[in-house]
Amino acid sequence: MSQIELKNINKSFDGKTILNNISLKVEEGERISLLGPSGCGKTTTLKIIAGLLKNDKGQLLIGDKDVSKVPVEKRGAVIVFQDYLLFPHMTVAENIGFGLKMAKKNKNIIKEKVDELLKLVKLEGLGDRYPDELSGGQKQRVAIARALAVDPKVLLLDEPFSNLDTGLRDEMREFISNLQRKLNITTILVTHDKEEALMISDRIAVMLNGEIKQIDEPSEIYKHPKSIEVANFLGNRNYIKGNIKEGKFETEIGLFNIDNREQKEVIAMINPEDIYLDNSSNEGLEGTITEVRYAGDRIYYKIKIKNKQIRVISNSDKVYRLNEKIFIHMDFNNGVFF
Amino acid sequence: MNFKISKIILYLLLFFLLVPLFVLVIWSFSNSWPWPNMLPKDLGIRAYKHIFSFRTGTLGVLIYSIILSATVTLITIIISIPASKALGVYDFPLKKLFKILVLAPIIVPPVAVAMGIHVSFIKMGLANTFLGVVLVHLIPCIPYGVRIITSVFEGIGEKMEIQAKVLGASSLQTFFHITLPMITPGVISAASMVFIVSFSQYFLTFLIGGGKVKTLSLVMFPYIQSGDRMMASAYSIVFSLTTLMILLIMEKSIKKKYKRETDLFV
Repeated sequence: MSQIELKNINKSFDGKTILNNISLKVEEGERISLLGPSGCGKTTTLKIIAGLLKNDKGQLLIGDKDVSKVPVEKRGAVIVFQDYLLFPHMTVAENIGFGLKMAKKNKNIIKEKVDELLKLVKLEGLGDRYPDELSGGQKQRVAIARALAVDPKVLLLDEPFSNLDTGLRDEMREFISNLQRKLNITTILVTHDKEEALMISDRIAVMLNGEIKQIDEPSEIYKHPKSIEVANFLGNRNYIKGNIKEGKFETEIGLFNIDNREQKEVIAMINPEDIYLDNSSNEGLEGTITEVRYAGDRIYYKIKIKNKQIRVISNSDKVYRLNEKIFIHMDFNNGVFF
Repeated sequence: MNFKISKIILYLLLFFLLVPLFVLVIWSFSNSWPWPNMLPKDLGIRAYKHIFSFRTGTLGVLIYSIILSATVTLITIIISIPASKALGVYDFPLKKLFKILVLAPIIVPPVAVAMGIHVSFIKMGLANTFLGVVLVHLIPCIPYGVRIITSVFEGIGEKMEIQAKVLGASSLQTFFHITLPMITPGVISAASMVFIVSFSQYFLTFLIGGGKVKTLSLVMFPYIQSGDRMMASAYSIVFSLTTLMILLIMEKSIKKKYKRETDLFV
């Protein structure tokens, strides 16, 4: 267990830049997510840390040591792949003990460690099964136990939950979160699922087009994205163009009060859940509901105000109908301006 | 419906494959079976007596053939595994061309190249030797070995090996603990094929071995040619049973070692 530092890592394939100056520091015991769409270079980053790919430029430190030249099998950064890759010709116990056997550890020590890990991942008694006799969640737990068996300095998880169905996914997320806390192992997780990243990370690094755009805590990254690209990736937000002038925010949909700020042209971002709907009084902006999607605990609306579509998420019990006239309230003092 | 049709086709295929064998069995026991008799006129075991008596040395030839073909199979597999991995897993320039070139020895008739090889082998002192025949058998055998094992590697890819390395296995450990067990079913089918190809090689053995290297097909051929049907049939049966036995032994012994089949290969 140690900290990892990536310093100005560059990588290109066939002249095409995949990673552009990636710098990232992960503290000991920290859980960090690399979040980005497919093709943004997040898996490449993970492979470089594991030693499966070589970086063109830059430094990679695990602990205080530069490991750029250390071969995969000696690096101590173990990657758990998306499709688990359990060895089909070995039992669960043999799979978990594989790394120790390769390190030529004593048979009794291996057995002890395997039993301990089976207990840790709640698979006691399944040691003699073969991988094709396991469910998806069990396979994943074996894959994690196998990685943990070699006492890695860093645990790398490549899209760990994307092959599981929804119910199991929540269960495994919780399981891995708890396990990581318990063992206090430095973990880097790659995902394209923003909700997953927000839920289980200490910090998130948003990667777009081979660059890290922002590294922050989940709530910070969600509430105060530094650019529209990052904001866009984290959710379907509303963006409203306008001018700030003497305590007023002049926009295409109306005039809003705002704290005194520098006068300039801006784009304001406002989250759908920060907009309130009301039809009891005539205050606020008038709009027409053009889309209603009911999702149980919340309702998604699209509302048309003067040719502009605004997204709203409402948690209230009241369901408005399609084409209904409605008044909306939004406070730009909570908004983010770009 | 479709299922029924395919079943009928399967049975027809089995019928047409097995009936000639059955006729062979009858022939191998009949001294004479002239037309228009439904059954042989005169039964006997002259042919088997000849094959299994120590005096004629046929048993020795049989064992010699098995050793020769086993050697060829072993060398072919050892060459084929790395070649197949390169063709099946890695990307390199002109890969498609190499894939076709590997098959060239089966596309070009061996007669065309064997003459040239013969001359060279005479110069090198390899003609009329065991080693020479083994080497020349590799020509038709390697394409089969490489082709079959390549498709196995294409199926399993490199992922499992990468995973093993990540877990701390060296290249050698990875090969013996991961790669080899995973490709074993494919290697068995390749080895079976290669053994049969080598075992039934007549022309190349005859040319390079010059009659000094005597294999079963070499001994068998004159009987077929001269029309001694009883002997030819008996030889054919011994020939088929030998290959069948070898295949069974190979499969059994390897399966015991890697007790579990994976469903990766069918």
